[in-house]
Amino acid sequence: MSASAGMYALRRLRRGWRSGELLVLTLALAVAVAAVGAVDLFTERVRAALAQQTGETLGGDLLYSARQALPDALRSQIDASGVRSLDVVQFPSVVFSDAASELASVKAVADGYPLRGELRTAPDLFAPEQRAAGVPAPGQAWADTRLWQALRLQPGQRVRLGAIEVEIAAVITHEPDRGTGFTDLAPRLLINRADAQASGLLGPGSRAQYSLLVAGARDAVAALAAMPLPEGVRRFSPQDARPEIRSALQRAGRFLDVAILAATLLAAAAVALSARQYGDRLKDEIALLKCLGARQGFLARAMVAQLAVLALAGCGAGGAVAYLAQGALAGLLGSLLQLELPAAPLWPLASAAALGFLMLLGFAAPPMLDARRTPPLRVFQRATVAGGLSHGVWLAAVASAAGLLWLATGDPKLAGTVLVGAGASLLVLALLAALLVRMLAPLRSRVGVSWRFGLGNVARRKRATIVQVTALGLALLALLLVSVVRQDLLRTWQNRLPPETPNQFLINIQQAQVEPLRAFFAERGQPDIQFWPMARGRLVALNDEPVTVDSFDDPETQRWINRDFNLSWTATLNPDNRIVEGQWWGEAGRGEPLLSADEYAIERLNLKLGDRMTLDFAGERISFTVSNFRTVEWDSFRPNFFLLAPPGAVPDTVPRQYLTSFYLPQAQRALLRDLVAQFPNVTALDIGALMNQVRGIVDRIVAALEFIFLFTLAAGLTVLLAAIEGTRAERVRETALLRALGARSTLIARGLVAEYAVLGALAGLVAAVAAQTVAWVLAAQVFEIPYGPRPSLWLIGALSGAALVAGLGWLSLRRVLRTPPRLVLQQGM
Amino acid sequence: MSRSAVVARDVCKEVSSGGASLTILSGVDLDVAAGESVAIVGASGSGKTTLLSLLAGLDLPSRGEIVLDGQSLSPLNEDARASLRAGRVGFVFQSFQLLAGFTALENVMLPAELAGLADARARALDALERVGLAARVSHYPHQLSGGEQQRVAIARAYCGQPRILFADEPTGNLDTATGARIIELLFEMNAAEGTTLVLVTHDAGLARRCGRTVTLREGRLE
Repeated sequence: MSASAGMYALRRLRRGWRSGELLVLTLALAVAVAAVGAVDLFTERVRAALAQQTGETLGGDLLYSARQALPDALRSQIDASGVRSLDVVQFPSVVFSDAASELASVKAVADGYPLRGELRTAPDLFAPEQRAAGVPAPGQAWADTRLWQALRLQPGQRVRLGAIEVEIAAVITHEPDRGTGFTDLAPRLLINRADAQASGLLGPGSRAQYSLLVAGARDAVAALAAMPLPEGVRRFSPQDARPEIRSALQRAGRFLDVAILAATLLAAAAVALSARQYGDRLKDEIALLKCLGARQGFLARAMVAQLAVLALAGCGAGGAVAYLAQGALAGLLGSLLQLELPAAPLWPLASAAALGFLMLLGFAAPPMLDARRTPPLRVFQRATVAGGLSHGVWLAAVASAAGLLWLATGDPKLAGTVLVGAGASLLVLALLAALLVRMLAPLRSRVGVSWRFGLGNVARRKRATIVQVTALGLALLALLLVSVVRQDLLRTWQNRLPPETPNQFLINIQQAQVEPLRAFFAERGQPDIQFWPMARGRLVALNDEPVTVDSFDDPETQRWINRDFNLSWTATLNPDNRIVEGQWWGEAGRGEPLLSADEYAIERLNLKLGDRMTLDFAGERISFTVSNFRTVEWDSFRPNFFLLAPPGAVPDTVPRQYLTSFYLPQAQRALLRDLVAQFPNVTALDIGALMNQVRGIVDRIVAALEFIFLFTLAAGLTVLLAAIEGTRAERVRETALLRALGARSTLIARGLVAEYAVLGALAGLVAAVAAQTVAWVLAAQVFEIPYGPRPSLWLIGALSGAALVAGLGWLSLRRVLRTPPRLVLQQGM
Repeated sequence: MSRSAVVARDVCKEVSSGGASLTILSGVDLDVAAGESVAIVGASGSGKTTLLSLLAGLDLPSRGEIVLDGQSLSPLNEDARASLRAGRVGFVFQSFQLLAGFTALENVMLPAELAGLADARARALDALERVGLAARVSHYPHQLSGGEQQRVAIARAYCGQPRILFADEPTGNLDTATGARIIELLFEMNAAEGTTLVLVTHDAGLARRCGRTVTLREGRLE
């Protein structure tokens, strides 16, 4: 880089930043880098935290887990390998104190627990913690902080757990293996293994999870990890410890991707608009420099130097914001994930910076480098050599947009879809804008002088107006979309559970208990309670072909059919079920061996109507014919089943249990205490607490999404600014000329505001139509909720567009209106 | 006879406008000797500025040949012509053509920097002192009056010590008194540097100060 090209570049940049012509470009670049950087940094921290999981997170080097006691054959294999092992049982149950009750995840452990890591406890809430010297003695229990608070526990207090009472002896401050499954959302009660059986909560049909922790020499553990597993047993290594976080990240990732893609595309549009304007302004200078003897090499070096400094400034500022923003994201989501996040590494910022460089290369470099083609003759003949952008510029922009989207999401398919979608939206926006501009023309003769001046400008610069309305429309689309997604979609999604949604589940009800339970509820004013029968069967044949785990390649299907299926029977279909294919049997199906399958089962087993499924119910085999397909609203918080049969299809000889769900107001919670005392084997699940937790999680995720949407919003504003700044120079000259010709400032100001208001209203209208379309697609495809058109949004779009654009336009030009016209006309370049 | 600084031989310039060909210059022959000062005069639209831009190599003629400082321009591409101008040719424009974001000093330094001269700053300071603007080196163009801006432009034109100076209506944007002072300055510097001066003007007074006046009428030299 020659010193003079570098010096020229620095001086030019100084001027660009001072006058504001490069500010929008730098800002847009920083916004894109910040959005991508923040999310990349945060996900990298979570990934690193997951990768660092050691035996401590599992409480051992391996964990075997099953719904029943682990097979003896497996135990002898493990014992023979020379490793240490320890039994753990975990089950959900409601714990009662004098004052309250709470659904807890109960864990029963024996001496020696944990095999890896350590338990830490404190004698009372907020007392200093210490390493636990063992496990709770029989008759004692330790509870975590949440359970202490929920039950307002005191040291030494006795609580009821099923058929027994235990004494609360300590607060668990650190438990190495907060395992997996929905029970983990519930607070913890740790008891001695010896008390588990006595509680009566491990009876037939219990929801207990039996685990075996293993720790030992690396070779022995590796050999065990490679051994085949008996049916129904799952094995976890420390790296598998938190699958729910991986899947949650994957799901949240899609939403974040959409927000990031929108921010990136908008920022790219702002960069492209600003760079094109900057390139146009450079043309006069380049012509003069050529007159003064500047060669292409000098100009190229000067442009590259400018781009490099712009990249450093934009990526630097964006990187700094990204670093702060990922901290905010970690604050919003970190505690939710219950992960100790390592410090943020810096390298993900490199890929965000690469995105910034690519954005500059694709969108800013072409129009700036293209300005080098300006002939020196332009110093004399400005108008005759204006020229448009070369095809190369457009090609570079499209190629970069594809690259950017791919870099931002790492998903070529998603990037391609968004690119085509964005191209189509731009085209539609432009067509709508052209139509609206045409419709405005007849209005000119019917309005006052200020408006005539404003409308005249809109009509005179037809092409520029269409480009500007499209750009403004794009920006307003982003702004409106953020509000639509937030207000209409996320809130609807959050509030879709009506207030009387069942909040209590009773499971593990034996057949003989159904009538006594019905009487129990009738006495307490709830006579209409519905009990669902349920039998557990294993799929053994499909269309009379034997089925094993090896019959399926898909790991999810393998896992699914490795478990018992819960089958229920009924003649009436619940309102949260809908038949999509075939006929519901109704009363006519009674006793027929028919089956209704839910979409998940259809997809996993590739079922067709008429297929025969043979299920083994504890040695009794029954073949069913699939007669209809259903969709099920699984999040309705009512009992639902993958498989349903008509009443009487499953003979009475098949063992069964019942379950029910009901709504219990907070004030009547004492009912649960009586219920558990009277029916100790029945497990009560307080779904209310779970629902609140689910709502809490959704709230946090929505907050994180809204936070990322702020970047989309910022990117939208940069486009808005770029679009307004685009015609600023021309307006400055015109304004000065009009004032020189005697037009009063107020007239010009009103005319300009009128013009900007019209531009904004057009853009807002176009954006509202587009936002509604996108929201409708999102509602149907992503959130799966109904969403109808909202005409008020059109009005809001047009009015807010007019106000926003007129306001920003006024801010951008108000100084010019106060400057003496002589100065403006004299300044020239 | 001294060496020629600029030579035009049978120069024609045609441009297409709305599908039709428009002749701006036709059969122009002009030979400007080194150190000579020549004024090109003529009515508006007679082709004066086009001729000036061709002589300076800003554009190529449709036919004919231009030789600038002993070098024929026809075989040179735009880059080579820019290279030829660097350090040899200076310009003064009617609208001053100063870079708005650059200080007076930075504007004046520019041609010397483009010519790769190591002492660009010292030269620029010297040139600004000679045009009487030593106190305004850090001012930006919008902080200077029209006359001061044109003085900066003259300092810039002479900073690279060019052999040939092209001026396009240098007093066209100035009032009579300021214009007169600018003319004095221009010829003073021209005499001191021994520069060849080719200028386009409507100003009869300015034309009279030149050693020779040529008149363009409808694209032809009279």
